[in-house]
Amino acid sequence: MQGTDKNAMNYSDEPLFDETDAGNTPDARTNPAVRDRIRTLIDEQPYAVLCVGGGGQPYGALVAFAFSEDMRHAVFVTPVATRKYRLLSECDHVALVIDNRSNKGGELMEVEAVTVTGRSHVIERGSEFDRWSGLLVARHTYLKSFVEATTCKLFRVDVVRCLHVARFQEVNQWIPASHS
Amino acid sequence: MDSREPLLIPLDACGQWDEKFVGGKAAKLGKLVRAGFEVPRGFCLTTRAYEAFVKDAGITPAIRMELGRKSMDDMRWEEIWDTALRLRAKFLSQPLSGLLREAVTEGLRGLNADASLAVRSSAIGEDSAGRSFAGLHESIIGVSGRQAVEDAVRLVWASLWSDAALLYRKELGLDPTLSRMAVLVQELVDADCSGVAFARDPRDMRMERAIVESVPGPCSLLVDGLVDPDRWELDRKTHAIITWLPGQRDNAQHDAPLLEPCDLEQILKTLLSVERLFGWSPDMEWTGKSDSLTVLQARPITTAVPDQDKKRAWYLSLRPGDARLKALRERVVERLIPELEALGQVLAAEELDLLDDRQLAEAVETRSAAVARWKKIYWDEFIPFAHGVRRLATYYNDAVQSEDPYEFVGLLRNQPLVATQRNDAIARLGRQLAANDSLRSALERLLAEYAGALHWSTFRGELIGMADGADDFVRGFDDLNERFLDVAYDQARLHDQPEPMLRHLVELSRARGQSSNDVAMAGVHVEALEMRLLDAVGPERRDEALDMIETGRISWKLRDDDNLLVGRLESQLLRGLEVAAKRLRDLGRLTGKGHPDGSHAKTIIRALREPSNATMRFEGSVKDPGAGLSCTPPGETPRQLIGQPASPGVATGAVRCIRGCVDLGRFQQGEILVCDAIQPTMTHLVLLASAIIERRGGMLIHGAIIARETGIPCVNGVRQAAEILKNGDLVTVDGHLGIVTVGAAEFDLEMGVEYT
Repeated sequence: MQGTDKNAMNYSDEPLFDETDAGNTPDARTNPAVRDRIRTLIDEQPYAVLCVGGGGQPYGALVAFAFSEDMRHAVFVTPVATRKYRLLSECDHVALVIDNRSNKGGELMEVEAVTVTGRSHVIERGSEFDRWSGLLVARHTYLKSFVEATTCKLFRVDVVRCLHVARFQEVNQWIPASHS
Repeated sequence: MDSREPLLIPLDACGQWDEKFVGGKAAKLGKLVRAGFEVPRGFCLTTRAYEAFVKDAGITPAIRMELGRKSMDDMRWEEIWDTALRLRAKFLSQPLSGLLREAVTEGLRGLNADASLAVRSSAIGEDSAGRSFAGLHESIIGVSGRQAVEDAVRLVWASLWSDAALLYRKELGLDPTLSRMAVLVQELVDADCSGVAFARDPRDMRMERAIVESVPGPCSLLVDGLVDPDRWELDRKTHAIITWLPGQRDNAQHDAPLLEPCDLEQILKTLLSVERLFGWSPDMEWTGKSDSLTVLQARPITTAVPDQDKKRAWYLSLRPGDARLKALRERVVERLIPELEALGQVLAAEELDLLDDRQLAEAVETRSAAVARWKKIYWDEFIPFAHGVRRLATYYNDAVQSEDPYEFVGLLRNQPLVATQRNDAIARLGRQLAANDSLRSALERLLAEYAGALHWSTFRGELIGMADGADDFVRGFDDLNERFLDVAYDQARLHDQPEPMLRHLVELSRARGQSSNDVAMAGVHVEALEMRLLDAVGPERRDEALDMIETGRISWKLRDDDNLLVGRLESQLLRGLEVAAKRLRDLGRLTGKGHPDGSHAKTIIRALREPSNATMRFEGSVKDPGAGLSCTPPGETPRQLIGQPASPGVATGAVRCIRGCVDLGRFQQGEILVCDAIQPTMTHLVLLASAIIERRGGMLIHGAIIARETGIPCVNGVRQAAEILKNGDLVTVDGHLGIVTVGAAEFDLEMGVEYT
């Protein structure tokens, strides 16, 4: 293949600086797997913008979240007397937007964001509840009473795909279901 | 930024200021002035002036955007150069504020109004003992008048982000929000001779020896390596002359030293005084003799080990000055290219089948040595000369100050490249087929029949008997093959593989009448750009500008032609190897289905010379480069790739990756051409492509230029483009923004997937 076979006569190609031998290409060195970058981002960021829609009206709200280890599921909690709860009841298609911007300006190229799309389900109290609420409370201990309140509902998002954005326009998709 | 910090400091006061305001060079010279050394008069525009300029001009966000666009570890030098060019254009396109202009005016008031000036970088920490970054930043000499000084100051500021500086970004600690540069403006001193002096021998600092080098004329002749200096070693204690080595200068008598013992004594005394003042051994640039000895610069002798990074050192050697460029142009045009062309023809004419084994071994050896020799020439001379295009770029941009830093590319249009002549020949054959349905049908039928096993000698005979006009077509194809396809690509001779080109011609003939691209579409008028440049430089520099355009054009043409001409030598080496391999196969001394390549030359030569050698085996590999490679982990797919917007426009289509010879015949009208790097051997495909995506980045590489000439979008510098994208992938290429979007914006997944 042109450009990678070091022995090939490939006259038009000059060296890539900092290029190292096979197995440690700059691409591999500077570009970890998308899954890992998403994992880092969601571990670092406690809050996400929850995007919901209902009756043709999009709506966004900030939520504290937690992800399962395999990143196939995210959980959040919301009081039932809220607009987002009503919209979630109407339509289970949701998105979560998580990013690491600092709002200091001029950092566009350094910002990373992930848009997670999926379907949401209420986790009713029962055998599954402790597992999923425990995931959320382990990360956000201050939400313990909130999660346990009868006027709140715990939602689990079954993640369909994650769209990771870096360097302003570089977008990669990762589908947890395809990851073994 | 503290508003009490001045924008301007006279040179004699610079020694009292911290280096972070005046930079290393000005701080040291300021101290020398205060201590009574003779130093040319001047002033310093402080780092605060730089800060004020970049803030007013909004340059910091531009730098962050440029440097953040892609990891610089993934960039080739062409992309780094482009990044620096765009930043340079940004600096040049912004005027100095009223306050900064006042500062320049005030500074000039303190200097001789008629003096020719030097405008030099004074970067923070650039002259430290640990490492010298000399040459990474710009110095402009021979400047006069306020406007010229302002222009020069902006150029020097921009050089904080020069391509060379970006290469050393880690060592320099370059940071868009923190890095700053002061600028030193000094009167130029005219002197009969100048030089560099070291208080100790840089090769061995323990020895009690000082080194003095001197050239006739200004010091820049020595620093730029244009004139070989006289060189003395002096005893630091006794001040005695230990050795004198005369410089090798053309047309000059070298039996008399440039400097008298009293001149050397004065230089050594000055060196030692500077050493006492600073407490370190200096490397000093000086001009003038004896009483008129003037110190131009003093910095600690660099004790760092030589740069171990050969690639960076090689790149830095690639930026020939105008004099070297001119010499290279002469040598390349008048000697090297004609020699290379002639050699290709001689080798092609040689009838290898008639040679006995020993003669054949010699022929292969000659070819192998020729390839090695010309490969070295390619790296040592052709690539440096290719910088003529880049020199034209900076020359044009400095003069015209266009908002588009690539406007000058229009000057390169319509050059009679070898590849263009080949593409014209291909287009003619395509038209011939398009106008003759029965010939095209016959060709298609034969191609289907012989798919993958086409031997031209048999094929051409059959084709001639199948349709009117076929003999004419076959003659045209023979001519194309002999003149232009005797080149190596993907370790094979295109000449021996007519099938991809025949398939391409069929596809091209189908595209005729539709919208196949035509090269050299109207747009930019070459003459208008020439006039723009000539108007900008004025009548007194007209000849210089025309010469620069000419060098740029020759350099650009060479950059394309040299690949094909050296490719022809490779092709001839492969021909020799094939003949030898066939002979050895016939004798049962070579088995396996593999084809020999350049790496087998020695083995084959030995086998031809020593008939008693053991049987060899070349393993054949089933190679279908178009099959595609996947380099992404499971579940990951690219959605939007970013690269460089190399040619404007938007196009959507199916991907066709070009990874080898076979792919050249698979390309279909309207597909998106994806490859690692477009080479001159494949530019004819662009006639059918609706857009180009390539991994190799740069605005002045083959793909970018031909895309702009044909008016199709191109995004290059896309990381792993040819590995990530697969044949048939639907992509949208946005050549305005440098974005490639993969797939449609579908949401069907969200409707169905459920976890169990």
